[in-house]
Amino acid sequence: MERLRIWLATLTLVTVLGATHAQAASTIKIGTAGPMTGDQGAFGQEIKNGVIIAVDEWNAKGGVLGKKIEIVWGDDQRDPKQAVAVANKFVNEGVAGVIGHFNSSCSIPASTIYHDGKLVQITPASTNPAFTERGLWNVFRACGRDDQQGSVAAAFIAKKLKRTKVAVLHDKTTYGQGLADETVKALEKAGIKPVYYGGITQGDKDYRPVLTAVKQKGPEVLFYGGIYPEAILVTKQMRELGMKASFVSGDGVWTKDYIEIAGKDAEGAFITFTPDQTKIKEAQEVIKKHRERFGSDVGAYTVYSYVAANMLLDAIAATKSTDGPKIADYIRKTKWNTALGPIQFDNKGDVLVSPYVVWEVKNGKFVELK
Amino acid sequence: MLVQQLINGLTLGSVYALIALGYTMVYGIIELINFAHGEIYMLGAYIGMITFGFLTAFYLTSPSPAAALLLMMVAAMLYCGACGVTMERVAYRPLRSAPRLSPLISALGVSIFLQNFVMLAQGPRDKGFPHLLAGWGIDLFGGRISAIQIFILAGTVVMMVALELLVHRTKIGKAMRATAQDREMAALVGVDVNSVISVTFLIGSALAAVAGVMVGMYYGLINFFIGYMAGIKAFTAAVLGGIGSMPGAMLGGLLLGLIESFGAGYISSEYKDVFAFAILVLVLIFRPTGLLGEDTSKRA
Repeated sequence: MERLRIWLATLTLVTVLGATHAQAASTIKIGTAGPMTGDQGAFGQEIKNGVIIAVDEWNAKGGVLGKKIEIVWGDDQRDPKQAVAVANKFVNEGVAGVIGHFNSSCSIPASTIYHDGKLVQITPASTNPAFTERGLWNVFRACGRDDQQGSVAAAFIAKKLKRTKVAVLHDKTTYGQGLADETVKALEKAGIKPVYYGGITQGDKDYRPVLTAVKQKGPEVLFYGGIYPEAILVTKQMRELGMKASFVSGDGVWTKDYIEIAGKDAEGAFITFTPDQTKIKEAQEVIKKHRERFGSDVGAYTVYSYVAANMLLDAIAATKSTDGPKIADYIRKTKWNTALGPIQFDNKGDVLVSPYVVWEVKNGKFVELK
Repeated sequence: MLVQQLINGLTLGSVYALIALGYTMVYGIIELINFAHGEIYMLGAYIGMITFGFLTAFYLTSPSPAAALLLMMVAAMLYCGACGVTMERVAYRPLRSAPRLSPLISALGVSIFLQNFVMLAQGPRDKGFPHLLAGWGIDLFGGRISAIQIFILAGTVVMMVALELLVHRTKIGKAMRATAQDREMAALVGVDVNSVISVTFLIGSALAAVAGVMVGMYYGLINFFIGYMAGIKAFTAAVLGGIGSMPGAMLGGLLLGLIESFGAGYISSEYKDVFAFAILVLVLIFRPTGLLGEDTSKRA
């Protein structure tokens, strides 16, 4: 009797699942992945909002290929293992393409699964060079690369700040260590050898021991390769230990949360990032919509995600298909006019032009340095 | 550098010790590894932050930060104590005569529940924790000890002394020790085992709550996931010192903090967890019961 009941329950469940699946085929799905929850949730939210605005616009115009667009969310929690699980889920659910992931350490392992599943992947934010350097046909990157970002940071330290004693820390992730290494490479070209180089563990809370060791070397600049949760702690704890060195970091730290939580300790930090998006003419529309819909200003990667989603949907509409290789071809060949201005991809899937500039935290705000 | 690392390590170790005490007390009495204990610590941090929010709303924080801090800790202790007792009632007591694996799995369930509860109630993002003691510190033999570090060290010592007195000088302490030695025998001589177990959960959870508030302020950043790593570290400390032994948990916590701090400072911060766990493995090979643990095979 008991066994019979379990069987019946299972059968009902399978039928229900089957029904929802059949129903879903009347929409076009696009996958959107990033750290939606967890300590990097702020960045996941940026990707989410950007894609929502884009898809809403398309659906208001009647969708794509005569069907409504449905977003399938994937939460990788910045964990490469989760990212792979999310990627498999997307392939199985038959999405037409993927926007994401955020972290390079997630985008890279996931990209091979999308490649095997013949899905186009456009990352709005992963900057590690390896993402596009492996000869995959399906990967695109809407943002810049860490070798470009690293040389801007190094030039800033050597020429603008005119400092020679630089300590380098990173979070051992593909992005963080990658950015740190590119910066070190560029620093060494300028004749600066770091006085300290080391990694910290993501998710830890106490970096005082390693910072005490760094302080011992008397650096004038601390370069950090990593994302904002650890950057907040590093900034606060180095000031607490009485370190006066300038804090320099990359785009993973360019978020409101960094300034809000690190408070006055964040003052005077230098962050490399793209030029002010709010000054781009084409971006105004998105920025306005974001404020109306979510009641806040766009984050570092909101507009990038919006642009990525639009490119994917445009390509689906133009090729009248959801076939991965066709979509990829179209994206590669097209000269895009986007909310970020004109964009064009090279054969690897990188953008042809990607300017990085340095921002400074001044009076609780990011200010672009001229 | 030596002095500074000593200060860093002792502060970190004190926090581990406070959390480890909760693990070890519960294990000593019902031989359960309470994997949800780290979550109680996380709840403590959140309650501290919420209390601070209330106090600020009524302009009560500015006249006396110290009193505000005390209130935050008391609120966290009460709430987490109640959580601990409820958790035992709901998730562990019905399983007390079940095989040992069942309450362990139940504990993991409680842990997942609490994490997700806080995530949904408070949001998945990092929250800044108010820093009431910011700004000043004392320079000491070439190191610098900040107000919050002094507060953590002093707070931990007070808590530990109070706990020692409670366990060795009071009636309920005696009942706890009796229950730990032999639950059935204690029941036979008239100890109310159920309430002793409840009290154990209450005290262990209150200690974790204190740790939560202190660490929240120390790092200035909390999220729903902080209980996981803290729980693992504290559990390691408890095992290192000998699980079931209270002095062991204190020693284990302090040792772990110092090892991590010196390992990160002098050798490599990338491998600091490796040192901590390598020492744990070594201790367990040569002293399977931990540094101060008693031989549990005799008891079983």
